[in-house]
Amino acid sequence: MNTRIRHLALVMIILYVILFVQLNVIQVGRKNTLDSDTRNTRQTVRDYNDPRGDIRTKDGVIIATSIRNESGSEFAWQRTYPKGDLYSAITGYFTFAYGATQLEKTQNDILAGRTVEQQIKGIGSLFNGQNTTGSVQTTLDSRIQQAAKDALGKREGSVVVIEPSTGAIKAMWSYPTYDPNLVAVQDDELAGDVLRYLDSMPGKPLLANAYQERYMPGSTFKVITTAGALDAGLINTESFWEDESEFLPPQTNDPIQNYANKVCGGDLAEVFRRSCNTPFARTAIALGPQKMVDITKGFGIGEVIPFDLPRAVSSQFGDVDYFKENLPLLGIGGFGQGNTQMVPLHMAMVAASIANNGIMMKPYVVAATYDHGGTVLRRTTPTVWKTPMSSATSALLTELMIGVVNEGTAKCCMSLANGIQAAAKTGTAQLNAAGEPQSSHAWMIAFAPAQAPRYAIVVMLKGTTAEISAGTGGTLAGPIAKKVLDIALTR
Amino acid sequence: MNGTSQPIGATRRSTEFQLVFMAAMITATAYTLASLGKNSVIPPRILPFLAVLLLVLMSAHIGVRWLARGADSTLLPVAVLLNGLGYVMIARLSERLAGLQTTWTFIGVACFIAVLFLVQRVNDLARYTWTFFFFGAGLLLLPMVPGVGFSSGGARIWVSVGPINFQPGEFAKLALALFFAGYLSENRDLISAGTWKVGRLNLPDPRHLLPLLTAWGFSVVVMVGQKDLGSSLLFFTLFIVMVWVATEKTSFLVIGLALFVAGATAAYFMFDHVQTRFAIWLDPWSRYEAKGFQIAQAMYALGSGGVSGTGLGLGDPTRIPEAKNDFIFAAIGEEMGLFGATAILVAFLLLIGAGLRTAMRAHRPFEKLLAVGLTTILGIQAFIIIGGVIRVVPLTGITLPFVSYGGSSLVANYILLALLIRVSDSSARGLSEVPNTATSGERFAVRRAIRKSKRHPDNQDDQS
Repeated sequence: MNTRIRHLALVMIILYVILFVQLNVIQVGRKNTLDSDTRNTRQTVRDYNDPRGDIRTKDGVIIATSIRNESGSEFAWQRTYPKGDLYSAITGYFTFAYGATQLEKTQNDILAGRTVEQQIKGIGSLFNGQNTTGSVQTTLDSRIQQAAKDALGKREGSVVVIEPSTGAIKAMWSYPTYDPNLVAVQDDELAGDVLRYLDSMPGKPLLANAYQERYMPGSTFKVITTAGALDAGLINTESFWEDESEFLPPQTNDPIQNYANKVCGGDLAEVFRRSCNTPFARTAIALGPQKMVDITKGFGIGEVIPFDLPRAVSSQFGDVDYFKENLPLLGIGGFGQGNTQMVPLHMAMVAASIANNGIMMKPYVVAATYDHGGTVLRRTTPTVWKTPMSSATSALLTELMIGVVNEGTAKCCMSLANGIQAAAKTGTAQLNAAGEPQSSHAWMIAFAPAQAPRYAIVVMLKGTTAEISAGTGGTLAGPIAKKVLDIALTR
Repeated sequence: MNGTSQPIGATRRSTEFQLVFMAAMITATAYTLASLGKNSVIPPRILPFLAVLLLVLMSAHIGVRWLARGADSTLLPVAVLLNGLGYVMIARLSERLAGLQTTWTFIGVACFIAVLFLVQRVNDLARYTWTFFFFGAGLLLLPMVPGVGFSSGGARIWVSVGPINFQPGEFAKLALALFFAGYLSENRDLISAGTWKVGRLNLPDPRHLLPLLTAWGFSVVVMVGQKDLGSSLLFFTLFIVMVWVATEKTSFLVIGLALFVAGATAAYFMFDHVQTRFAIWLDPWSRYEAKGFQIAQAMYALGSGGVSGTGLGLGDPTRIPEAKNDFIFAAIGEEMGLFGATAILVAFLLLIGAGLRTAMRAHRPFEKLLAVGLTTILGIQAFIIIGGVIRVVPLTGITLPFVSYGGSSLVANYILLALLIRVSDSSARGLSEVPNTATSGERFAVRRAIRKSKRHPDNQDDQS
């Protein structure tokens, strides 16, 4: 019988090897498929029941944290956002039934302590009951962020402040916005109602218009046309444009006019600081569709901004074939009208690249991530995204933008405290066709101090009210930019 | 025996002592971790817990040391480790059930020692072959008796006598293994001889085949009458394996497989619940809202456990229906990961290995077949339920021996373990690894005989 018993042992071993193989297939091979099955709520429940690390500003202000619920609650922890709506566009929200957005989404594994590194380091903590959650330090400066919110007030628009040398976002405020505390509630139905209500509101408070929307940039776009034309050698400081109130481009009988039909002309410094339109229309058409599109591509226009927050959009200019058939549109595109659309964040990056010797850095909000013990897991290394202009051109553009502040369209509003020199360009994007009631976005891009830039800023006010539409980028966006820069540059 | 080295029996028992102690420590550590994971507190009564745990396990060990000191040294430690890990998982799922499981463990260990005490010679059991047959058959049919048996969870496998509810099937499997071992060891030559000629086939005499066919009939009755597919499959496999090993004829294996395929096919077309089981085995996902839910949850649990598990007390095994019982393997796979689940598989392989080694070493056919039968029950029962949970075979509800919650199952398996240890000890005696001294029962009988014949008790140490 012993032979049969040996055979039986062999059969048993085979059966158990089959079990072991299948166990591997499920627990290793199909783990990700199972985890991501939509009917599998384990991960969400666990995330929601587990502690979760903090999100902080660069200067240590906690902007998202978890507090323990009273015992008996449905979930052990409650996610809260101590600063209300101030950082909603950065942290996003964290809900049980409706998922997470922004950093709560992209940094979920770190915050929940689920990265491989954290798991390995956390093996020891199995025995002392400590959690393994990580924390996220953002690049934001709480003073500047607060200043941006205060300065913009209840006007729809955005303020973005970037550190030009690194691409670190120091402030990013969009209005309208929402308070994530209203969404991150334990009651799923209530959370759903709040989200649906916010979604239906005009002004789309759930979208961060600083980087998830694009707007006609108006004359701020002239820095791009100018940079391209300077680099191409088409224009220089000696270039001169005769006074004119309008210019008739090829392929049309409809002339391009200056703002408010003013007569405008002069050398490069003058047409730039006075923000004449026709010289830039002429320049864009002279560059031609191919060159002009190449220039905008050099600035990253047409590409999704490589931001470390989800769902950033791309700026748009147009394509070569279209402009070949529509040279007048290429002309007005040259001064930021027509089909030109810029993401406010992208415009801040354009200003920052001028401030950074022509080098455009990738924007980022995550400065570093930390494990539970405070050891750095990952620190963001600033990286170059584009090099849209030469160093010489950026120096020349800086001079032109200083002219805008000292003698041009921003003269009214951009004299910074303590005599700090700013460099700026205004924009008033006309949205209405001729004859319709006036409607315009007000823009300002700037950086300061002009010769050793620490901050680049964009201020954009949506032309949703008569007050904004009646004003210009200089008079409306200028004071906001000044307030924010003044606070940023104090100390 | 080598005079200079330690006696084999003593070595085995000290190994067993160390292993049982380790199993107790692993259990206590896992218990503490589960409490830390779940409530972030060290269990307040961990020291009393450890004391009671050691007391129970060491009683079992001392029982073996006293009553079966030549037995294999791994059977008891592996079984108590499985019992311990199962207990930790049950305690983590429900404190109330943990209290009950503690009671079942006490009773199980008490029965374990009692069986070791009462059954001191394996061959004594061979005398009761037909008693076991009728006992096993009676137990199997008991749940179908109106007024006594009742259904729970779709299967009519429960019996209620006064305040006590139990699953007689768990004990019936032992009785059937004992019957098969007894009957086959007597008749295996006749069965394998094949004196009944049907065409070109040499079949065993129907007279010898009849009891076996009756036993097979019971597995059909269990399946049809009680809707207990798992037990039915277990009985049938036990029957086939034992006949095959006893007769050494592969034709029985082929016939058995044919009968199985025929029975399974017939069951598939006759019973809705068999079709459902088969369908959710192939695809639980499209039936997620209904019958597939349990399997799907088990898959999610195992997936979320991954390689290293979520950590004891840190997973979410309460989402799996019947996690304490049939699906405890999925709960272990979730919280202890592939590592923990593999440890369970390895533990069962160790039990099977020790059981079959015992069978090989035994010299009497009855002992051999009994060890094969008992080991097959353990190995196949664990395979059926683990395979069902992880979709290797269609799910047929049955408990995971020593691990699942349940009094009948735990007590029956401790009795099974005691019998296996008894066979193992008997082989050791037969191989003179330990002195084949008279058992306490024999000593008592001898003493009584001597007293009766009014002789002096000089020869009470005679070999019997």
